[in-house]
Amino acid sequence: MAAKGLDKCFFSLRLLRNLQLRNERLVSTSACRLVDDKFIPPSKPVIIDKTQSVASLRKFLSPEFVPPRQRTNPLKFSIERKDMIRRRKVLNIPEFYVGSILAVSMADPHASGKANRFVGICIQRGGKGLGATFVLRNIINNQGVEICYELYSPRIQSVEVLKLEKRLDDNLMYLRDALPEYSTVDPDMKPVPFSPTGEVPVNNIKVRMRPKPWSKRWERPKFNIQGIRFDLCLTPEKMEHAQKWAEPWREYDMLKEYDTSKLEEHLLDEFQQEMSK
Amino acid sequence: MRLTLRALISHGRVARKMGLGPESRINMLRNLLTGLVRHERIETTTARADEVRFYAEKLVDYAKRGDTDEKAMKMASFWLTEKDLVPKLFNVLAPRFETHSKGYTRMARLPNRENLDRAKMAVLEYKGNPFPPLYPVKKDNELTLINQLLRGYREDRAQQLATKA
Repeated sequence: MAAKGLDKCFFSLRLLRNLQLRNERLVSTSACRLVDDKFIPPSKPVIIDKTQSVASLRKFLSPEFVPPRQRTNPLKFSIERKDMIRRRKVLNIPEFYVGSILAVSMADPHASGKANRFVGICIQRGGKGLGATFVLRNIINNQGVEICYELYSPRIQSVEVLKLEKRLDDNLMYLRDALPEYSTVDPDMKPVPFSPTGEVPVNNIKVRMRPKPWSKRWERPKFNIQGIRFDLCLTPEKMEHAQKWAEPWREYDMLKEYDTSKLEEHLLDEFQQEMSK
Repeated sequence: MRLTLRALISHGRVARKMGLGPESRINMLRNLLTGLVRHERIETTTARADEVRFYAEKLVDYAKRGDTDEKAMKMASFWLTEKDLVPKLFNVLAPRFETHSKGYTRMARLPNRENLDRAKMAVLEYKGNPFPPLYPVKKDNELTLINQLLRGYREDRAQQLATKA
């Protein structure tokens, strides 16, 4: 009697389960078809290659850690570095250079979804310590847009590197006077995979400029720009005229030299120790 | 009515303005440095001596790298206008200061210049130069009674120690 009852309830349970599954399948497919027609592939697994040793990883110290040559107390810089490392433990700020393409999502109370996302080329990295900034440039609806983000601002929710590369210069402000095709970045760009070992790829592109006047006289040697095609926009006489502002004694002026190699090594060791804690 | 303060604050600039401009300043410092390397003791105005001091010490640091180093050779050939001083820098001055880590120069004030400008003068020298010292060491008078007695005592002690040993 008890066995029969159990059988019956098992059978009914199985029926219910089958019905449920069938209903779910029907419901899920119909829901999918309503939302979108594209096939969403499953998320790719992140492969952490443990065979690569720590020694072969590329060593990178973010430039805002290196203190400038000043008369201020070094205690100020060491306290700032501690705070920077504390922030970095919460938010992952990846390695990037001027010329890489980044996507930054920042908290904004007035945007839908409380966050807005901006994709652009990094044209300048400025500031030291907690006030370090980077400027992203993109052209949206034929309008050039540059946004200056602070790396350690609490409003920043994520920084992703879509394409890691270097350019011939440290400062790409001349992209404002270049043809718009060099500053456009697709906002829905897929991240290009890059390896954490080996050299950073250098993009040797030489940019074509709009006709003069430019915002700054980029041909003058004080800017020392390698990444513009001057032969297309300036005559050799103009180039020679620009060389009048060259200061050849500057490279021999020992007062202007600031050798940071030893300081950087020391700071890098400190940084890696603190981050691994 | 002036609402803002016009303050002459240099904000961390360490290089003095000299001569007609930056190029003139570097040329003047080059001449001073060449003279210093040739004669190892020069007298100029205090401001110029102070500027040259930094460059003199940095030049010796570069010379310590050795003359096979390309950067060191470029620096030396730029800063020394008389090219016969380049071997002197690498073969005489660099070995002399091998044990010193910094502080290769000495600066002392002089009485003001006799001209109408009464300029503040200073003498700048590389340490270890062959001239008599800038601050001469005053020796006690050997011929006073106490010094003669002490000398006798020292000689007796030396004799006693020699006979003991």
